[in-house]
Amino acid sequence: MRSEYDAIVVGGGHNGLVAAAYLGRAGRRVLVLEKRPAVGGAVATEEIAKGFRAPTGAALAGMFRPEILEELQLARHGLAFLPCDPAVVALADGGKPLRMWRDPNRAAAEIASVSPADAAAYPKFRALMAKIAGVVDPLLLSIPPSISAPSLGDEWFLLRRALRLRRLGKEAMYDALRIPFMSLKAVLDEWFETELLKASFALHGLFGVFRGPWSPYTGFGLIHHFVAESNGGWSFIRGGSASLSGALAAAAQAAGATIRTGAEVRRIATADGRATGVELASGETIGASVVLSNADPKRTFLTLLSSLDLDADFLMRVRNYQSDGCLAKVNLALDAPPQIPALGAAEIPPRIQIAPSLEYIERAYDDAKHGGISESPTLDVAIPTAVDPSLAPPGKHILSVLVQYTPYRLKRGKWDDRREKLGERVLDLLEEHVPNVRSALVGMETLTPADLEARFGLTGGHIFHGEMTLHQQYVLRPVPGWGRYRTPIENLYLCGSGGHPGGGITGAPGYNAAHAVLEDHARAPRTS
Amino acid sequence: MQSGSRYDAIVIGAGHNGLVTGAYLAKAGKRVVVLERRRIVGGATTTDEIYPGFKFTVLSYVCSMLRPEVIRELNLPAFGFKVIPQECNFIPGLDGEYLFYRGDEEDTHNAVLKFSKRDAEALPRFDALMARMCKFIQPLLTMTVPDIGSLNPFELRKLLALAAPLRELSEEEVYEFARIMTMSAADYLDEWFETDLLKAGLSASGVIGTFLGPRSPGTAYVLLHHSFGELDGAYRTWGYVRGGTGALAEAIANAARHLGAEVRVNAPVRSILVKDGRAIGVELDTGEKLYARVVASSADPKRTFLKLLEPSTLPQDFVRAIRNFNIEGSSGKVNLALSRLPDFAVLPGNGPHLTGDVTIGPSMDYIERAYEDAKYGDFSRRPYIDMCMPSALDPTMAPPGKHIMSMFIQYAPYHLKKGTWPERREEFGDTVIDTIEEHIPKIRDIILHRQVVSPWDMEQDFGLTGGNIFHGELTPNQLLFFRPAPGWARYRTPVKGLYLCGSGAHPGGGIMGAPGRSAAREILKDMSIWKV
Repeated sequence: MRSEYDAIVVGGGHNGLVAAAYLGRAGRRVLVLEKRPAVGGAVATEEIAKGFRAPTGAALAGMFRPEILEELQLARHGLAFLPCDPAVVALADGGKPLRMWRDPNRAAAEIASVSPADAAAYPKFRALMAKIAGVVDPLLLSIPPSISAPSLGDEWFLLRRALRLRRLGKEAMYDALRIPFMSLKAVLDEWFETELLKASFALHGLFGVFRGPWSPYTGFGLIHHFVAESNGGWSFIRGGSASLSGALAAAAQAAGATIRTGAEVRRIATADGRATGVELASGETIGASVVLSNADPKRTFLTLLSSLDLDADFLMRVRNYQSDGCLAKVNLALDAPPQIPALGAAEIPPRIQIAPSLEYIERAYDDAKHGGISESPTLDVAIPTAVDPSLAPPGKHILSVLVQYTPYRLKRGKWDDRREKLGERVLDLLEEHVPNVRSALVGMETLTPADLEARFGLTGGHIFHGEMTLHQQYVLRPVPGWGRYRTPIENLYLCGSGGHPGGGITGAPGYNAAHAVLEDHARAPRTS
Repeated sequence: MQSGSRYDAIVIGAGHNGLVTGAYLAKAGKRVVVLERRRIVGGATTTDEIYPGFKFTVLSYVCSMLRPEVIRELNLPAFGFKVIPQECNFIPGLDGEYLFYRGDEEDTHNAVLKFSKRDAEALPRFDALMARMCKFIQPLLTMTVPDIGSLNPFELRKLLALAAPLRELSEEEVYEFARIMTMSAADYLDEWFETDLLKAGLSASGVIGTFLGPRSPGTAYVLLHHSFGELDGAYRTWGYVRGGTGALAEAIANAARHLGAEVRVNAPVRSILVKDGRAIGVELDTGEKLYARVVASSADPKRTFLKLLEPSTLPQDFVRAIRNFNIEGSSGKVNLALSRLPDFAVLPGNGPHLTGDVTIGPSMDYIERAYEDAKYGDFSRRPYIDMCMPSALDPTMAPPGKHIMSMFIQYAPYHLKKGTWPERREEFGDTVIDTIEEHIPKIRDIILHRQVVSPWDMEQDFGLTGGNIFHGELTPNQLLFFRPAPGWARYRTPVKGLYLCGSGAHPGGGIMGAPGRSAAREILKDMSIWKV
């Protein structure tokens, strides 16, 4: 196959666009192929009712790497973050709600009315977690080391991390080593007594994770969350999530990349164990020296490649890769401001959480663990119109609800038959806190895990391209032996959330994958 | 001059670890006394005649993890210690099926083959991998862990040396090791096998003694922890101690006495005496005081630091860490005296299946659901039960023709949401009998006597805080450098001259004798350089 491009990126999700931009900046001829009519993948803004533009996939950013923001000059391409403050409001079952202000002292003052002990502990806890996050943070924009043949650079980098860890002081170092292996419950019980506060932290740690707060190793999610916080914390993107994708696309194009939408890749072409290009659904073939797949690992290896291309052990590993999602998304269009009696009359917070206690979350998880939809799921409700009125007609609002736990694989029935009931159940739960939600409702869209799979190409409907559990992290992500963006197919790379450091809008996998490509192909291969 | 007896070392508690520490110290020529609160030695490693003629293994009931070094160095066989291998596993199902296999590979293969060809082929590979991973972990069991917080170059070198055995594993095995350390038993076994009964039987050893379910991450490691068994060098073999596990405690006690140690029963310690920040002895309930250069406590960490000591004399951070140490028990015991051997519905009559380990827990889902009941503060409606009848192989345990049945019951949380254990103990016993009745329909006709031990009873009668059989949960945040508290994993404590020598210290619970042996080694080291 003739190489028309130096690199083809399969999928124009945010990571694919980041990879394309970096390769373009390095002088490579890059083509991004996106199946949908717009780039962005699950970082999308779509009209759910006339004049209501909702985040149908990811609603919040905040983990996006500042380095990428800077280097790609995304602000010049129109990207602006709108921080949430309070970052979140946790609603209680009857009791006082907690506004988690970005300023830890202000948040502590709010907590003091519920528990003076927790108010005292809160800033200390945040400070400790920020310290630990600071050690972890540089790992995100680095390619995991090779286990069998670590380079001197790898060893030096890890040694520096270890020294940095020791410099935290004994207490913080012990905590840094302990917390990732503990359950959220165990960690939070050590610090706090207020169930609502613990549940709020737990929800952050469990975001998109198919575990409950009593599961060991969920403490890891908390560290993950605080890495996000230290990079600016949860924010909306001005003009909707898709504006991030738009800015990235503009940056990639400015760097010389070509972007084609409505171009579905049917398979990745190989010859003699090397990737040579792609074949589109239309039958068109395009050759390239390297191919980067922004699709998730299962889609990449089990759908876009032939099983003859890969050996049986590797295929077994990919099949065992856990990527069954546990989230659903319910987007609501309201023609009046949501009324939340627990808060002040006119207060519209940018984000509310409905999960009053750790036990509530754990029970929601138990239902899903056995293949059922949670009877009482946890709700994480983003209200982007609270900070960005441009997304809906004046005075009207969008509620974007993340519903956990709703397992992709149901023990009984099919998602198509359960969608409506799930939507109704979410409205019931919301109504307890937002009584006018039904009367103000003018549009509604329920995306089950099966819908997320169908719409965004996320296998299993998993928003992170696979579970963010310890055994699927770092050198083990997505599968042991292939944690460095390379794959058993020469010249084929993974550049999506299935690679280290995983899901969330970070841009990090795309950045790292582009650098892995540039490491392997130091000089631009001649395009024939 | 203080009044009272003077020793080189006092050991608090004559559980198997306390006795091991006492024996090793005596072996080094130290004047040692081991003080036991109860009327017999052994602690949770005990055999007791609860019903005339029937010797009950009241708590611990099998043995395989006991370090071969301890057996050899204390010459335990000379003091009557003998293990009768428990060669088979029997896992009855609820729909007429069962899995039964003996130790040898061919028999196991054939038994599993009835269910799945794939599983039968995978099992030997799985066993080989587990054995290899164990080989990697085993050196850790008998060592004193390096101080991870130290900047001393010697300690740093030791820390690096910990990773050395990793080099003997292939890259593939290193990854597998990392996965085993981080996965749940269920996820891990699901990758290997498809037969429910087989997975249930294997996953049971991933949760036994912990307050976790097979779907909890970290349980794949516990799977390994229970694979440490090394009877005659064979992996995953368990055995009965002839005369019950109490006979093991007796053997160690006799070895200790032979080496010159004094073992005193009916001698409950009320408090550890501390003067100027160092332990100088103990005071008994009777008011009697004993003095020594060294005090070693085989009581669990919470009892040692929060009850036997005045916590206000300890550093605050340390006390907080000990208070946070998770020690909630999750299991109970029901022991029966039987008029004859039971008939299982799926395999009636006598046979070798009654001589080994019987797992009541037909699927991983069943065990997970049992865990869920306990998670929210009740005992399992249908518990997972590890059952055995040692009298089938050891005639010394019961009168001729009669038998004892030892049942380890999980889950039974120490903290009940409704009622108290004394109020609900018999209801718990009834639940257990109801559960096994589904497998042994006529069980009620052959019960002569029933003993129910709740986690609360374990705390009351055996001094196990929270009724935790391992002196604290075996999760990674409470193992190695962190057991029992970060920075205090080397048997020493913030009180000079006070050492921890029980299961609350590295490497943790089970009849291993490893904490006791390592503590003695550290004590002797400190004594020889006049640190204490």
